[in-house]
Amino acid sequence: MSAAPQTRLEPFRLRGANFNLLVLRLLDPRAEVVVPAIGDQFRRAPGMLRHAPVVIGLDDLTARPEEVDFTAIVSGLRDLAILPIGTTGGTAEMRAAAQGAGLAALRNAGHDTAPPPPPAEAAAPVAAASAATAPVTTVPGEPAPPPAGHQRTTMVVDQPVRAGQRIWAQGADLIVTGTVNPGAEVIADGHIHVYGALRGRAIAGGTDNMQARVFALQFDPELVSIAGYYAVRDGYGDAPMGRACQVRLVGETMRFDKIG
Amino acid sequence: MAQVVTVTSGKGGVGKTTSSAAFSTGLAQRGKKVVVIDFDVGLRNLDLIMGVERRVVFDIVNVIQGEARLNQALIRDKRVDTLSILPASQTRDKDALNRDGVAKIIEELSKDFDYIICDSPAGIEKGALLALYFADQAIVVTNPEVSSVRDSDRILGVIQSKSKRAEDNREPVREHLLVTRYDPIRVAKGEMLKLEDVQEILAVPLLGVIPESEAVLKASNAGNPVILDTETSAAQAYADAVSRFLGEEKPMRFIEAEKKGIFSRIFGGRAA
Repeated sequence: MSAAPQTRLEPFRLRGANFNLLVLRLLDPRAEVVVPAIGDQFRRAPGMLRHAPVVIGLDDLTARPEEVDFTAIVSGLRDLAILPIGTTGGTAEMRAAAQGAGLAALRNAGHDTAPPPPPAEAAAPVAAASAATAPVTTVPGEPAPPPAGHQRTTMVVDQPVRAGQRIWAQGADLIVTGTVNPGAEVIADGHIHVYGALRGRAIAGGTDNMQARVFALQFDPELVSIAGYYAVRDGYGDAPMGRACQVRLVGETMRFDKIG
Repeated sequence: MAQVVTVTSGKGGVGKTTSSAAFSTGLAQRGKKVVVIDFDVGLRNLDLIMGVERRVVFDIVNVIQGEARLNQALIRDKRVDTLSILPASQTRDKDALNRDGVAKIIEELSKDFDYIICDSPAGIEKGALLALYFADQAIVVTNPEVSSVRDSDRILGVIQSKSKRAEDNREPVREHLLVTRYDPIRVAKGEMLKLEDVQEILAVPLLGVIPESEAVLKASNAGNPVILDTETSAAQAYADAVSRFLGEEKPMRFIEAEKKGIFSRIFGGRAA
């Protein structure tokens, strides 16, 4: 508390903020089918989605609201350490059913045109209010909207990525808080940040994002690639090996700069 | 309920079977009821290292295929009476094992034993996967050498994703690192990986460091688990590892090159 104390009387402040969230689009209404399938999927990429907030997409559900056991889905996801916070899309009845399980109905600010708001008079005031003061939650739809550069979500991996494991942050940035070991592979369509040692392969920018970069606090990778351009150990030039480094493309040349 | 402890490594020849034999003997010496299972069907070795090869009548495959009862296949150790061995078959291959059969054996053994030690075959294929599937704890045996470390890293990833605990979304398998064939002199010369380099990559709590020792080969050939050769450094290091496994605090021994000056011992010991 070294800063000059300001007299603040109010106990809180309400501010609008934008968030990027993953949408989990339900294709099957049955919790006993959906939850194990998700568990199975994410076991292959341990750490992925752990404690990540997700929004449940209702647009693809054809079932009637009373057929969907939202309570079971929510508790199943929470058991997998995934935190559902709300719903997007779907009919008003479906959203109401989900609200019963504590899932807020979020309005998709990413592309207003996609889900036609069914009851016009109900949706309009919400839209007006959110434009003025209320927090707006931006939910990128599955096919990423055009200005994707600033709308990417981020995948965070808290465990070491071990030899033979491959983690792909699809349409997202990737943060690894530990190390990426030799023989492991981390892939992101956006940037890759490694806050431990990067000793495996790092492939950033997917096939075409030339703005993507790779950051590592201990730079010692087997291979780095950005948007399809790659270098192996012989090609690192005067990169600060073993130290903090960022890799980016300048034109078609890969540059390795000391950071920090 | 018995604890299932899988001894595994990915790579072959690093000391899984030697460690399984020493570790299970050590646990049994502390009064625990221990059974050690050889999962290396087709290349069975555990019975040799335990010195019971002449007493093998039935094996794990006979039990799985219903040709023998579990009690008929279990061999009671003559040196430590709370220790039993379930040998592998020499004449079959890994396909003779199946998950249901192994599940039944482990369930039955759980009733009578405190610890079930599974001596895994090398590799990451069926035999190794079955040996780690039911694990509650895993001892990953690693030599201070890059390919062994890489393979151990791989098997740790497999344990995280393919064990029953992972599939059931239970608390993950508890992992231990056992570094074997550690030669402080060669480490000092830079010919072997340093302990901290191994630990840094694998990021698993260290259970013990077994020094390179002639006693190990001698003990294996004699069919006598090396831990019984209490004068030797390897035996003492295994005994320490058993103690740590049971929750005791033991300082690491045998990790510094000998014949060091008194000053470097005092000042270099911690930092190294």
